[in-house]
Amino acid sequence: MEKAIKRYFPIFVLPTMVAFFIGFIAPFAYGIFLSFCKFTTVVDWEWVGFSNYTRIFFVNGKLDTTFLHSLWYTTLFTAVSVLIINVVSFSIAMALTKGIKGTNIFRTVFFMPNLIGGIVLSYIWLMLFNSVLAHFSKTIVSTQWYAFWGLIIVVCWQQIGYMMIIYVAGIQNIPGDLIEAAKIDGANNLQLLRNVTLPMLMPTITVCTFLTLTNGFKLFDQNLALTGGNPGKMSQLLALNIYDTMYGTTGWQGVGQAKAVIFFILVALISLAQNKLSTSKEVQD
Amino acid sequence: MKRKLLSVILASAMAAALLTGCGGSSTPDAAADTGSETTEESNESAEDTADSTVEEEVAAAPSGDGSVYLLNFKPESDQQWKDLADIYTEQTGVEVNVLTAAEGTYSTTMQAEMAKDEAPTIFNIGNATAAQTWNDYTYDLSGTALYDHLSDKSLVINYDGKVAAIANCYECYGIIYNKTILNDYCSVEGAVISSVDDIKDFATLKAVAEDINSRVDEINDALGTNLTGAFSSSGLDGGSSWRFSGHLAGVALYYEFLDAGCDLVAGQAEIEGKYLDNFKNVWDMYVGTSSADPKTLEGGTYNAEMEFGMGEAVFFQNGNWEYAALTNPDNGYEVTDEDLGMMPIYYGVDDANQGLCVGTENYWAVNAKASEEDIAATLAFLEWVITSDEGRNAITNEMGLSAPFDTFTGDYEPENAFVRDNNTYMADGKTAVAWSFNATPNVDDWRADVVAALTAYTNGSGQWDAVKTAFVDGWATQWQLAEEAK
Repeated sequence: MEKAIKRYFPIFVLPTMVAFFIGFIAPFAYGIFLSFCKFTTVVDWEWVGFSNYTRIFFVNGKLDTTFLHSLWYTTLFTAVSVLIINVVSFSIAMALTKGIKGTNIFRTVFFMPNLIGGIVLSYIWLMLFNSVLAHFSKTIVSTQWYAFWGLIIVVCWQQIGYMMIIYVAGIQNIPGDLIEAAKIDGANNLQLLRNVTLPMLMPTITVCTFLTLTNGFKLFDQNLALTGGNPGKMSQLLALNIYDTMYGTTGWQGVGQAKAVIFFILVALISLAQNKLSTSKEVQD
Repeated sequence: MKRKLLSVILASAMAAALLTGCGGSSTPDAAADTGSETTEESNESAEDTADSTVEEEVAAAPSGDGSVYLLNFKPESDQQWKDLADIYTEQTGVEVNVLTAAEGTYSTTMQAEMAKDEAPTIFNIGNATAAQTWNDYTYDLSGTALYDHLSDKSLVINYDGKVAAIANCYECYGIIYNKTILNDYCSVEGAVISSVDDIKDFATLKAVAEDINSRVDEINDALGTNLTGAFSSSGLDGGSSWRFSGHLAGVALYYEFLDAGCDLVAGQAEIEGKYLDNFKNVWDMYVGTSSADPKTLEGGTYNAEMEFGMGEAVFFQNGNWEYAALTNPDNGYEVTDEDLGMMPIYYGVDDANQGLCVGTENYWAVNAKASEEDIAATLAFLEWVITSDEGRNAITNEMGLSAPFDTFTGDYEPENAFVRDNNTYMADGKTAVAWSFNATPNVDDWRADVVAALTAYTNGSGQWDAVKTAFVDGWATQWQLAEEAK
């Protein structure tokens, strides 16, 4: 049987590989190629070498900080959102695995925000924020920090429920006898959490931090709908900055593409590092 | 047995998904209406472009084998274009596809569509910047019937020595005002004017707006209106800020270009912001005589059209395209055709001679990379649109556009309160203000910076000097960038 599977392996894998190649590998390679070109439509290009990359940072011979600004702004945003989402969703997951009444209803309710699309969600939040802030003569785009915390609130509200479900699954997978044994040994709740629950939950934490980290870096819909990058371009996260370069500035499609390549390398490196770090802490049974 | 059935279903589902994924070419929806035969024929002939005999045939019969693909810019006229395309196909057998990009996605849609084998043959470009971006794709329209029928030859985009695009409508903007309320106001005790016609310059307009705004309750009591201010809100969010960074700033640009003697809609590399003080005065009036909180204008919570439509404001800076929205019964507005009037945006420069701002951002361009047959068919289609009864009726009466072609006479003259006002101003010998903002280099970037500075100035967190910097230095920077990108 195993031999047969091995022999027919290419046939079974072929459809997926073809789809993967057409839908991912080919556009990706072509995208990297285009970052070295000046182009209007993707079939109409002219090789320009590295000039797209230099134009990200130097415009008219001067240092342009727009990209760098959105780089650190995005990094900060990701750091804060990863922290808040994971801590809060873990706490909720802990509370909802204690067997209190109505657990299922709570889980459903917490999960629900995740079912609404990013754009719609952000427009609703935009109205909420602005009508509250209007009392203080402020709006969500009054300064980049209003925009920042607005984005954090929306993203947390949306993702906490999702991460909570993953944490709930992880917590339920911890063998009851381990906890029981620890209790018999006299461990208090804090020790139980630190020495049993968290180490056993490491694989789940890996998954959740990975997801929130990449979500934070890739965030686009909410950024577009909630702040649109305002005030100025101060609240532009990387993805929106790339989009804006691509479609906003004449003849800069290649620069947008170059930014996207840098963006990819960055996100890939950070997620790999994070994955390695938290995987190394996982307990092997 | 059951499992076998399941696996067969799954396998076929996967195969189907794969097939549609690869074979789902992007023929726009209208293509489905015309039989597959036509499509095949046009494909075959497209392959034979190199064949000289085919080309000769095409020259002899312009509406022969080619097909037309219109990438429509105005979402509100999607259905009208589709209907018109069907009529044309019925009459001539030439396939006409219409695809409309959703609001605000035209450039993204166009970039995707233009990369396809069956690319649009007619597309919209809005200004010189777009003409630059799409320079490789614009067909020289000089000498076409479309150009010959154009009544005002300045309504084209000249770029790179060719007529890159021709306006398909002209529009006017200014300060829309509620005629009825303003007339009634003149009879209120202590009114600063005795007739609407007294508003002939910026100083009078400002005095009226300030007077209405300062005693809005008194006027409401006297007239039975429900005003909240003189001007409607001047939102600085993305959906409204173009009215100021584009249209209001355009008047300052116009006067500066006029002084400099350069092409009024092509502009020049550097500007000095000569009339920025006038811009500031008008802006201060807009903000100062409105009930909107100046600190929250960027929030997107205001709807100026609604405020004006519901009779909460007397003035509203916008263009004739608002006519349809303001008078559409579905919107439930209180204003009617008789209430609507438009006056020039008095700038304090040459108020005595200034008319409304007349121009357009809607230009047809023909895809130069399409096959000869398709270009011939496209030009024939456009000529039909502006000369046939069906086409003219659709443009004027169904889409409500003012077409700039000499064929639109009699029944096909535009009916619109604002256009009527414009005609009156023109008859009085006023000078129409050109749409000089069409010259803006990297228009999105430049406007974003101006709006950011204007927002900071308006909510008190910044100085007017920053607006000036964004306006003047930003222009030079973006111009240089646009030049480099050529």
